[in-house]
Amino acid sequence: MENITKTFPGVVALDNVSIDLYKGEVLGILGENGAGKSTLIKILAGNYIKDSGCIYLDGQKFEIKGPAEAIASGIRVIYQELNTLNNLTVTENMFVGEQIVKGPFKIVDWKAMTKRAEELLDKLNVKLDLNTIIGDLTVSDKQIVEIAKAISKEAKILVMDEPTAALSEEETQSLFRIIKTLKSKGVSIVYISHRLKEIFEITDRVTVLRDGKKVGTLKTKETDSNELVTMMVGRDIKDMYPKREVPIGDTVMKVKNLTAKGFNNVSFNLRKGEILGIFGLLGSGKTSLSKALFGVNKIKNGEITVNSKKVNVKSPAIARDEKIGLVPLDRKVEGLALIMGVKENITLANIQNLGKSFLIAKVHERKKVEKWVNEVGIKTPSVEQAVNSLSGGNQQKVVLVKWLESGSQIIILNEPTRGIDVGAKIEIYKLMQDLCEKGSSIIMISSELPEIMSIADRIIVMSKARFTGEYLRKEASEEELIHAACL
Amino acid sequence: MADIKAVEVSQKKNIRLNNTAILFIILVVMFSVFSYVGRPFFFSKLNLIPMLNNLSFIGIVAAVLTIVMVSGEIDFSIGGNIGLTACLTALLLSKGLPGWLVVIIALAGGLAMGAFNGLLVTVIGVNSMLATIGTMFIWRGIGYTLTNGRSILAMNPVIDYIGRGFVFKVIPFPIVLLVAVFVITYVIMNLSKWGRRIYAIGANPLASYLSGINVKKIKFINFLLCGITAALGSLILTSLSAVGMPQHGQGLELIIISAIILGGTALSGGRGQILGTLAGVLILSVLYNFLTIMNIYYFYIQMVQGSVLILVVSAYEIRLAMARRRI
Repeated sequence: MENITKTFPGVVALDNVSIDLYKGEVLGILGENGAGKSTLIKILAGNYIKDSGCIYLDGQKFEIKGPAEAIASGIRVIYQELNTLNNLTVTENMFVGEQIVKGPFKIVDWKAMTKRAEELLDKLNVKLDLNTIIGDLTVSDKQIVEIAKAISKEAKILVMDEPTAALSEEETQSLFRIIKTLKSKGVSIVYISHRLKEIFEITDRVTVLRDGKKVGTLKTKETDSNELVTMMVGRDIKDMYPKREVPIGDTVMKVKNLTAKGFNNVSFNLRKGEILGIFGLLGSGKTSLSKALFGVNKIKNGEITVNSKKVNVKSPAIARDEKIGLVPLDRKVEGLALIMGVKENITLANIQNLGKSFLIAKVHERKKVEKWVNEVGIKTPSVEQAVNSLSGGNQQKVVLVKWLESGSQIIILNEPTRGIDVGAKIEIYKLMQDLCEKGSSIIMISSELPEIMSIADRIIVMSKARFTGEYLRKEASEEELIHAACL
Repeated sequence: MADIKAVEVSQKKNIRLNNTAILFIILVVMFSVFSYVGRPFFFSKLNLIPMLNNLSFIGIVAAVLTIVMVSGEIDFSIGGNIGLTACLTALLLSKGLPGWLVVIIALAGGLAMGAFNGLLVTVIGVNSMLATIGTMFIWRGIGYTLTNGRSILAMNPVIDYIGRGFVFKVIPFPIVLLVAVFVITYVIMNLSKWGRRIYAIGANPLASYLSGINVKKIKFINFLLCGITAALGSLILTSLSAVGMPQHGQGLELIIISAIILGGTALSGGRGQILGTLAGVLILSVLYNFLTIMNIYYFYIQMVQGSVLILVVSAYEIRLAMARRRI
């Protein structure tokens, strides 16, 4: 791909980016959110049409006009969100849209399809029951089905977009084995990830993108993570995670032997001005913990004390009244009323205090909201602006400010910087620490190690529904945390 | 990118603001043309007062149903409610109960029907469309059972006043009720905390719940209100016709929902304006009245009403698409 440019209204998503891919190699593409990784592969897959530039395949100039052409020429993409049909079986999924048929009436040839499916899985060196309903499989098995589907027609190029996002360490390793098998068969693989460790483990070369531009391509063996991170974010790691020392006070929240859906027998203290990090992989129970603390999931056993008073958080409304706030995992689904304005979203958890009577004191509300918008630096043309038009970082600020507006003293943030760009991440970290300086306490749930190791004062590790370790920031090492997370 | 989208959304907002205004302009134009074409009868007290009376009960129910729809639910059982309440009212009157007591019982009956819908939707979790289509048939079926399918005379000073009385000897009582309901619902939806919560749960029930809003309680109360206003509408209709019969209000749910959607309320919840609903009700009623007095067959009138609904809703979509393309 040479000099590829793609613009969307108001933004240059890709600016003169060139990449080359050799037969039988694994090329890593590394970049922050919004760096242009997804746009690049969507152009390769024929989902987007490039504005300018050329694509050459086997030395031939090649115009991709749509997904069908990309597939026909052997380019296959496995997206982060898998496209499996969850009510169908493994075999059915592998041949969706390209069933093998026989006879004049084009009857589906199940025998041939089963045989072919077995061959394909053999090729990948994996075993799966072909009659299982896809919905019952694990994410990694679903992914295997997608890969098998991708190579069912001769695949020359296989693109994988963040394939390990939802995989455990073991599953990741088996995925890597499959990648190596494919590689040995001459398939070229584009491997997109922001996990450095994997890039080092699996790729031959790595191309780094930043803000829609190519920063460079390096041989993986000849580089190290510091170099890559600097290329990726364009600044030092230290600037990425600004940390201030905030004096830590007395215990504000005490959780004792708590058991609820998704985790068992968990105890911890949270102190005033503290950022308590909870680290764990997908499925470790950390999101369940946030839901129980916020009154979404019922508490089966144990107790929660806030400011030395035992509380019974039976619902989010009660949690809110106890000055607990939750910045949820998926802000668009759980945090924001997208079609409503910045103003309405900021006051969403505090409607009862918007006026003395049953009416909303609108002038008062607007002034309060404008104050927040200026203080926190939410970039919006007006407070009436619908939040669905704001950037991810600004949306996240709106969700966070919602809890400040309702006076929360304990704020739980679940993956606070998921899907937002570097600049906004830094602002969120600063904002969190501003809050601590003002006497709030924060529980930060995260699966991003660098983030949690830099921002949290104390880190609790969760694995398989329980706590498996507790470390002060200064004494925690990456290896220890990962080890505890896999216990 | 954010800035571009910002433009798009602000334009969307203008469209929404303008939609209600445009509807009222259309209404004024329609009314003027009809007054001229239908002269001298259309613009006369003899025509306008009955027209207003007839649209009063539609408008009252539509205003409250708008609240239910903004909260993301729907109530199809209003027609059945009107039928059952009419039968109940007439039966109780024929048993010799005093008028004021009958009114209270009728409204309480409406409340109970609303409560039943509300329970089905919020406690059991039945989809509101299915739940209320079910109860629509049940309510009407009970009405038929109570009356054996017959019409029962409903004459009583109190009942008579509800549909045919005058305040200060000039203003029809149903119009007073209509104005009162619209003022109250407007204040609720546009100015009150409760209205803000209703828009929020319609826009995103999960985010609202996770912000400490009691989504189920609000939805339940909305259904209660809808039930009681349908009963009030039924009292007006019973009074106007002086009979209670199970066929009262048959098909009315679709006309009312059409008027609400015409007024710009989204089926998906979170969007809708009380004034838009008022405009929608007025447009459909004025059109219906005009076509009727012009001696157009009822068959044709139905086709026209359906076409108007489709036309207006298409216009919303086209305007939105055009606004997007302009960028």
